[in-house]
Amino acid sequence: MKIEQYNMPDDLYYEENHFWVKEEGDLLVMGMDDFAQTMAGEVVYVQLPDDGKKLKLGKKFAKIESGKWLGKVYAPVNGVLDSVNEELETNPGLINDDCYGKGWLYKIQPSDKSELENLIKGKEAIEKWVLADIEKYAEE
Amino acid sequence: MEEKLVKAIVDIVGEDHFTRNIIDLVSYACDASEHCNRPVCAVFTETTEQVADLMKLANREDIPVTPRGAGTGLSGMAVPIRGGIILDLSRMNKILKISIEDRLAVVQPGVIYADLEKALTPEGFFFPPDPASGKVSTLGGNVATNAGGLKGAKYGTTRDYVLGLQVVLPDGRIMRTGSKAMKSVSGYDLTRLFVGSEGTLGVVTEITFKINPKPTKTSTALATFDNLEDVGKAINQIMHSGIIPSALEILGRETLAAINQNTDLNLPEVDAMLLVETDGYTQEETAYQIEKVIRIFEANHPQEVKQAKTEAEVKDLWAARKSAYAVLSRIENSSVLEDVTVPMTHITELLKGIQDISRKHDIQIATFGHAGDGNLHPQILYDGYDPIQVEKKENAIKDLFELAIGLDGTLTGEHGIGLSKAPFMTLEHDPVAMNVMRTLKRTFDPNNILNPGKMALEG
Amino acid sequence: MEAKYDFEKKFRKQILQCSRCGFCQAVCPVYGATLRPGLNARGKMLLLKEVMDGNLPLDDQLTESLFQCTTCASCFENCPSGVQVPDIIKQARKDMVNVGSCHPAFEGMHKVLQKHTNIYAEDEPEDFERERNQKAAYVYFIGCVGSYREDEATLETLELLDKLRVEFTLIDEVCCSGVLEDVGYEIIPNLARKNMDLIFDTGASTVITGCPYCFRTFNNKPQYSEMKEKGVKVVHITQFLQDFDFSVRTDKRVTYHDPCDLGRHCGIYEEPRNTIRKIASDFVEMPDNRENALCCGAGGGVRGAFAKNSIAMARRRLEQAEEVGAEIVLTECNSCVHNLGNAKLRKQKFKIYNTTQFINQLMEEEND
Repeated sequence: MKIEQYNMPDDLYYEENHFWVKEEGDLLVMGMDDFAQTMAGEVVYVQLPDDGKKLKLGKKFAKIESGKWLGKVYAPVNGVLDSVNEELETNPGLINDDCYGKGWLYKIQPSDKSELENLIKGKEAIEKWVLADIEKYAEE
Repeated sequence: MEEKLVKAIVDIVGEDHFTRNIIDLVSYACDASEHCNRPVCAVFTETTEQVADLMKLANREDIPVTPRGAGTGLSGMAVPIRGGIILDLSRMNKILKISIEDRLAVVQPGVIYADLEKALTPEGFFFPPDPASGKVSTLGGNVATNAGGLKGAKYGTTRDYVLGLQVVLPDGRIMRTGSKAMKSVSGYDLTRLFVGSEGTLGVVTEITFKINPKPTKTSTALATFDNLEDVGKAINQIMHSGIIPSALEILGRETLAAINQNTDLNLPEVDAMLLVETDGYTQEETAYQIEKVIRIFEANHPQEVKQAKTEAEVKDLWAARKSAYAVLSRIENSSVLEDVTVPMTHITELLKGIQDISRKHDIQIATFGHAGDGNLHPQILYDGYDPIQVEKKENAIKDLFELAIGLDGTLTGEHGIGLSKAPFMTLEHDPVAMNVMRTLKRTFDPNNILNPGKMALEG
Repeated sequence: MEAKYDFEKKFRKQILQCSRCGFCQAVCPVYGATLRPGLNARGKMLLLKEVMDGNLPLDDQLTESLFQCTTCASCFENCPSGVQVPDIIKQARKDMVNVGSCHPAFEGMHKVLQKHTNIYAEDEPEDFERERNQKAAYVYFIGCVGSYREDEATLETLELLDKLRVEFTLIDEVCCSGVLEDVGYEIIPNLARKNMDLIFDTGASTVITGCPYCFRTFNNKPQYSEMKEKGVKVVHITQFLQDFDFSVRTDKRVTYHDPCDLGRHCGIYEEPRNTIRKIASDFVEMPDNRENALCCGAGGGVRGAFAKNSIAMARRRLEQAEEVGAEIVLTECNSCVHNLGNAKLRKQKFKIYNTTQFINQLMEEEND
């Protein structure tokens, strides 16, 4: 669905720092959402940790940079990093071009899929959250 | 340029390999000569097919195309004097193959000379020409100008090492010349036609070079002289000695002074210094050779004769020699570097003649060069914003060429004709030769679109 | 013709001295990564000559070239004609700002530093597990990159200083703002004042800085001359460390990357190496080292304004590390660590650290 100029598909889960999460078989796929990639500008660097890295819910495990901005990536669930989108190493701009598709970031093996329910989900919740953030960032 | 042409070009090379940005055009207008003219646009090709498609288009639409490597040519061969398109080949920079058993290397034209050297060094091989611009110039450029260098007297020039080429003709057809075999006399020697043709007959898109095992040891010595007769005699006597030094360079007084101003070398400022290198596989071999040369120096009233003792000293001396051109250009705001070449027996006359010309026209001329093959580099220094000095420079150059031709020499040993020397082609080449050259050009390039306006090819 | 711009008044002769030999192409990191002659030193001199000759206006058209230069000075180092390209570029940038043409990233940086304490406009640096503004013999001045982008490295450096029992304090430092001088603006006086006041309040006689850029700014810029007048010395951490001995060693193959701001700009080449040799038995040099070191691509504001090319330049430098088989790449500049770190490919298994960070890690491993 579109919230102002931002494209926010309503069938995805969202982590409050503007990362989307969806299920893919046993794994979870994670990426940056349209709001974040627009705010960030052209992404020039995505940290791609080694496969197998342990992820702790709420703890930072990677960083993303544009020319002027540094963003921390927090684990949306407990689990293990299964794989990363290696294309981003030489073409981080994919995140700006196609943040929900080719610009996906990480695949996670979750320890407990039910933790997904702690994320933002559903048209109403998503809309409320995004509008609040739009306002917050407009002030800055 | 019409937008539909722009679109056609972009269709061939892609949006991000095409530019009309003023930042690029200003650079593409110039090479290392004093000539300048902006192209309308520039393209960077990555494949032979792109080059071919571009030439087809340009030939059809009558658009001049000027090929370019690193743009370090000294006579203006890469300057797009008729505008049009600059064809920048520097991104075709892969070394495709090195075969030690076949003694060859296959490269794309944008490979920098120094990068080929770097790839060959671990194998104990080298590509001898060694032009002074080797850290920046591209092999395609070296082939287009038949680049020489410090090792010319013993190892020859680029043309002696080209086994074969892939060339895109002005009409876009692609052809191959030569062979990967070490020698071949099959059909006309088209390779030799293209080498040194300054990008006027075809665009070289692949080169097969012969490579040599690299001698591992060298000895370096120098001698200073306070008169040119003695220098000339010394140079000529070396010919009789039976050995060929791997490098024999001369540095004149002004050159030595300029080098001193820019380094801590403190070279003696004398009429002339000879810097010599002998090479081989054992130190005994190189020492034997340098001994012979030293004895010849000593027999010709030198002020000083010295053998370089440490690696650092050797490195510094040769680095100083290689910097001579640009170091001299600090003296005035403009300079022109010539490379007249004469048979060895006329070297002294040439050296003296240059001094006479300098006095006659009251203009500074510093000299250095490859004494080992008669290729001197007189560098004329002047104020390019003073029309009187500019006129003096032109007159001095005219006298210089007449002098060299009069001594059975040539206008250019290695820098090429380009724009700078085009007006003097008829001084050196008889009318029949000129006619044959122009006929060849017309045969290859009937629409005169490939690097037009160079080498007096337009009659 | 009367000279219109300051760059022409100061550097006309130099610009004309460029003989167009093109030798700078061999060493320019921007040219090496982009292969565009217009971005090379020769290309920039040609543009300025066109401006001087009245053929081109000094305006936005030239921004992409004149503002894309790390000011690494490799061109000057290798220019047979001695053209002082970095100085000319910095002056030309000031002229451009005066006529209202500047790269938006630098304009932005200037605006940010008028309101904020650091180039990133961030509000809270890490606390690095200690109080600031104490009384001490030494002040450790971190610099913006170390505070906000490489805080892990900085923490390790501070832990090392603790282990060496150096009596130092951090201060509520603000950006030295030296970078503004290089991108067309000037050091911001109240930022300089704040830094100096905080330093003087600590009673310290020496400022140790981790950032070579701050080091140069404090030592060379007149806005900070009061420090010299009050007898406060400024040293870079590599100079400070070279008198220490370390009981740790590594067997890994180590190489050192000379930051441009420490190396070519300050002539500090051996101090860092002396320290590294104390702890590493297998130390190798990359092919382009010391005054020939290949710039990592971050300097002169290029990382902020031309980030993709900046990382491409860093990648070229790391190819050299791979070439010599290095397992550890050491340097002592947070900008270099940051840019090289971003550029490192997953398949490249070497690690990149500041020397101080690495020594601290070895000491931690020993304690385990």
